[in-house]
Amino acid sequence: MLNTTELLAIPALPLIASLIVGLFGWALKEKLSHTITTGSVILSAVLSVHVFTQVLGGASFYGNFWTWMLSDTFVVPVGMMIDQLTAIMMITVTVVSACVHIYTIGYMHGDPGYSRFFSYISGFTFSMLVLVMGNNFFTLFFGWEAVGLVSYLLIGFWFNRESANFAALKAFIVNRVGDFGFLVGILAIWYYFGSFDYREVFAAVPAFVAQGDTLHLFSWEMSAITFICLSLFIGAMGKSGQVPLHVWLPDSMEGPTPISALIHAATMVTAGVFMVARCSPMFEYSETALAAVILVGAVTAWMCATIGLVQNDIKRVIAYSTCSQLGYMFVACGVSAYSVGIFHLMTHAYFKALLFLAAGSVIHAVMAEQDIRKMGQLRKYMPITYITMLIAALALSGVPPFAGFWSKDLIIESVGVRELGWIGDFAYFAVLSGVFMTAFYTFRMFFLTFHNSNRVPEKTRSHLHESPKVITIPLMILAVGAFASGAWGVLGLDIANPEIVNGYFGTSLFVLDVHNPLLAIAEEGHHAWYHFVFSAPFWLAIGGIGLAFAMYFRETDMPGKLATAAKPVYTFLLNKWYWDELYERILMRPAQCLGNILWQKGDLGMIDKGIIHGGVVGGVLAGMTRMRDAQTGYVYHYAFAMVIGVFGALTYLVLKG
Amino acid sequence: MTPVNFPLPNVVPLIPEMFVATMAMFILMLDLFLAKEKKVWGGYLAILTCVAAGGLTLMVGSAESVSAFYGFFVLDAFSSYAKLLIYAGTALAVILSLDYIKEEFGVGEYYTLMLFAMLGMMIMASAPNFVTMYLGLELMALCTYVLVGFQRDVLRSSEAGLKYFILGSLASGFLLYGISFLYGVTGSFDFATVGSGIAHSGSGARFAVLLGLVFVIAGLAFKISLAPFHMWTPDAYEGAPTPITAFMSVAPKVAGLVILIRVLVDALPSLQVEYITIFSWLAVLSMAVGNLAAIAQRNIKRMLAYSTIGHVGFIMLGVIAGNADGYAGVLVYMTIYLFMSMGAFAVIVLMNREGIQGELLDDFAGLSKVRPGYALAMGLYLFSLAGIPFLGGFWAKYVVFIAAIESGHLYLAIIALLFSVVGAFYYIRVVKYIYFDDQRVEFNFVENRLMQATVAVTAVAVVAIGIFPQPVINICKAALGGII
Repeated sequence: MLNTTELLAIPALPLIASLIVGLFGWALKEKLSHTITTGSVILSAVLSVHVFTQVLGGASFYGNFWTWMLSDTFVVPVGMMIDQLTAIMMITVTVVSACVHIYTIGYMHGDPGYSRFFSYISGFTFSMLVLVMGNNFFTLFFGWEAVGLVSYLLIGFWFNRESANFAALKAFIVNRVGDFGFLVGILAIWYYFGSFDYREVFAAVPAFVAQGDTLHLFSWEMSAITFICLSLFIGAMGKSGQVPLHVWLPDSMEGPTPISALIHAATMVTAGVFMVARCSPMFEYSETALAAVILVGAVTAWMCATIGLVQNDIKRVIAYSTCSQLGYMFVACGVSAYSVGIFHLMTHAYFKALLFLAAGSVIHAVMAEQDIRKMGQLRKYMPITYITMLIAALALSGVPPFAGFWSKDLIIESVGVRELGWIGDFAYFAVLSGVFMTAFYTFRMFFLTFHNSNRVPEKTRSHLHESPKVITIPLMILAVGAFASGAWGVLGLDIANPEIVNGYFGTSLFVLDVHNPLLAIAEEGHHAWYHFVFSAPFWLAIGGIGLAFAMYFRETDMPGKLATAAKPVYTFLLNKWYWDELYERILMRPAQCLGNILWQKGDLGMIDKGIIHGGVVGGVLAGMTRMRDAQTGYVYHYAFAMVIGVFGALTYLVLKG
Repeated sequence: MTPVNFPLPNVVPLIPEMFVATMAMFILMLDLFLAKEKKVWGGYLAILTCVAAGGLTLMVGSAESVSAFYGFFVLDAFSSYAKLLIYAGTALAVILSLDYIKEEFGVGEYYTLMLFAMLGMMIMASAPNFVTMYLGLELMALCTYVLVGFQRDVLRSSEAGLKYFILGSLASGFLLYGISFLYGVTGSFDFATVGSGIAHSGSGARFAVLLGLVFVIAGLAFKISLAPFHMWTPDAYEGAPTPITAFMSVAPKVAGLVILIRVLVDALPSLQVEYITIFSWLAVLSMAVGNLAAIAQRNIKRMLAYSTIGHVGFIMLGVIAGNADGYAGVLVYMTIYLFMSMGAFAVIVLMNREGIQGELLDDFAGLSKVRPGYALAMGLYLFSLAGIPFLGGFWAKYVVFIAAIESGHLYLAIIALLFSVVGAFYYIRVVKYIYFDDQRVEFNFVENRLMQATVAVTAVAVVAIGIFPQPVINICKAALGGII
């Protein structure tokens, strides 16, 4: 059994720090603001590691602390469930968050919103911890909404930029769509199971499925469990930037870079994956839902990778890569390899956060320029950023022995062994070709930034320098994670080790044996360590890097020629498959049109002019005038009113008998 | 010849009353010997008296009902709690007076009158029969007539005092007339005896009983400003010195409501159907008058006078509910109203050095830029008075509305809800002046630590009760144990 105080302290510390700095930030010096928040998050990270070691030793926790809401039979407790899945999420969240906090000290130095920023990111850490540590769907929802709120606040952090406000609104509104589905799912759970509690609900699932409840949605009959899972998954699609709700994620890069690293790469956007894994006891019983997860994940993985090929904004390349990698995680969950999905989530958190922070370091050096066409040769000026970014790039591309290789390789193998018809075939094609594209766009960005020719404008060139230690140290810490977390996961923790089915995760994830791809992999037999040499993903990654090397390592005319030769494709990709334009046509404009009608005709015309000004205000004013005029100031009028009152009451009573 | 047997009555339950009476006279005497610039000590002493009386009430009070002076005085949890509210209301009003009255003539009389008024309310709270009730009520009324007209050289003030006196006398006449009918039917002044007497009176006495009921209700309704017996309120509120307006907005209302509940529960239980009908009409009328007429006011004291009338209309829902929850709701409402009203008046007094400024709504324009603390506190009181969750005023309304609904008066609750929407308009209009308008007059604040502390404490109380209402509700329910 874990120590309750310690568990409560983990989310409480960042919350308290956030409140102090948020409420009194105006009075605090920069140093005090970041000391309070960073200190508490580091402490929280240390405690999380401690909890993790205890969980490795077999400890766990489950319990309610207090009641949040109570209304008849509708009870919402606040409680925690700490198991292997939670523990690994906790260390991922707190460690990355701690690194980002430290990094922010250097990155945001001198910004007028310094304290506000720290308050937000500490508040985010709290929300994310609530999301992963809760023991019921309502705390999950609380954390889910809270991280969404902080994400909105941080994307629009520089609120005097119009584009930032627009991006923040976009993120919020798109997430509303997802969250609506999520809420429907949670309420459906309440409707069918009468509880929000993970344990109670999950325990009741097999019997519930056997009972075979169905419902009709439009003319489509589906089982209740499928309905629940699909609804929940819509929420995951919104939060985790899956097609077609992915459009907000690249725009969220308007926020300061530490946010892109923490929220829009490492933690918040992975909440969807976490949720699907947490709900594995439900998803396992719905083939339809699992197929939907695979399909959406595969489409996203592939499509966002193609968009990433041609983007020129350093953060957008990484952002599309994030969408794409999240797609990988969902594919893993869809083929029932939840442990592999979570494993990729963890490795991705490290190397993607590193990639973003390194990109931030670059942006910092080139005076807020984000266009990779205006960079080049930066390795000479910033060696630490260069090395750490290289590690992250190799990890993302899936080159052994870096972290990404281990997790991504397992995903592809899991997809390969499952027989899932055309969806399975498509997913396999998507993740395989995705490897090639990932390697290509990552190194395209990398070479254009650090090699190639120096295209930095003259004015900025004198400013080029390595970032201060407070920025480079978090890079180095994360580099360790980006390098080693994969090997550590497979070899050290037995996460997703085919030899030991469900290895580290034990019972925290639920997989039906017939679904389990890891069992199938194990049946195929033991792989030698050099096995990767014979596998397609390895060679595809090498191929992608090689192509990028050929095209971008030195200045060549190949990219230009290619773009001209395949102009329609290039434009199509550069414009991100025209998703934004599509949404503007079919959603934004009709919605604005409808809104205008309701506003002008409905609100102003009917309610304001008709009901309010016509009836209510007139009535109130008439009554007011009468009451005011009755107050004449003459004593005999006042006395008269009293006598009339008595007389009226008496008459009424006497007449009534 | 039987020996005369006259033992000393049990005086212990009356210790707070005797203490307050002694202190009131002491302050009057002390004032003669104080130098002009030290007159304010009388005020400090009055505050101490209220605090000490609170301590004494807590000491002598008990959950059991204790009777003294041959059934002419009763001490129970209900009266003790009411007295605590009365002390608090009086003490806060004295604090608001410290700077206001200092320069005026006859300081000692002022505090003495306040303490005697308080004594009258205490006696009302503890009255188990009509004679004691009338004694307390007249003591309170006579003192407040004088206090309202205290600024003798200000026309507005003396006019208000005179009007209040004339109408108050009329109301007293009503009350006595009503009591005489009830005495005629039952042959007793004691509430309980009257109650059983009415229950056993034949149909021949029916008309006399109804006359008694209506006149007693009219006399008491005057004290709590229930329409149509409210007409004196706006004039008296406007003319009275602002601290006295604050004083009248809470403490006499507490005393009046408490004695009203006691009369209804003990003396008139068999007429419940009749008085609920009357009160339903009076409540609706009060809500209408209070909330509608307040919109037309430009003077904040007058506005708050109408606001009081409106709130009394809401409070009557608790009386109409006619059960423990309803009566507890009345106490809850008064407790929360104490903080909101006293706080709002404290801000008005703080802005009002010359006796004029800070009375018009326009004077509040731009307050937020000059004194953000006062602006915030005033905003909290006003939102609370409007009943915005989660501030105290929301729960005040909530408890009485729920009590009314659960006792089957849904239509009244709906009417009350609609009028509280209308009421929100004129409260929030002041917030608009404070926060969104530009300053129009030069602010000239009174700097007094005690008053500032009053603002801080009441503002915190309004928020704290808003977040944790349950303790207050529990205390009020417990206080009711003695009578139901």
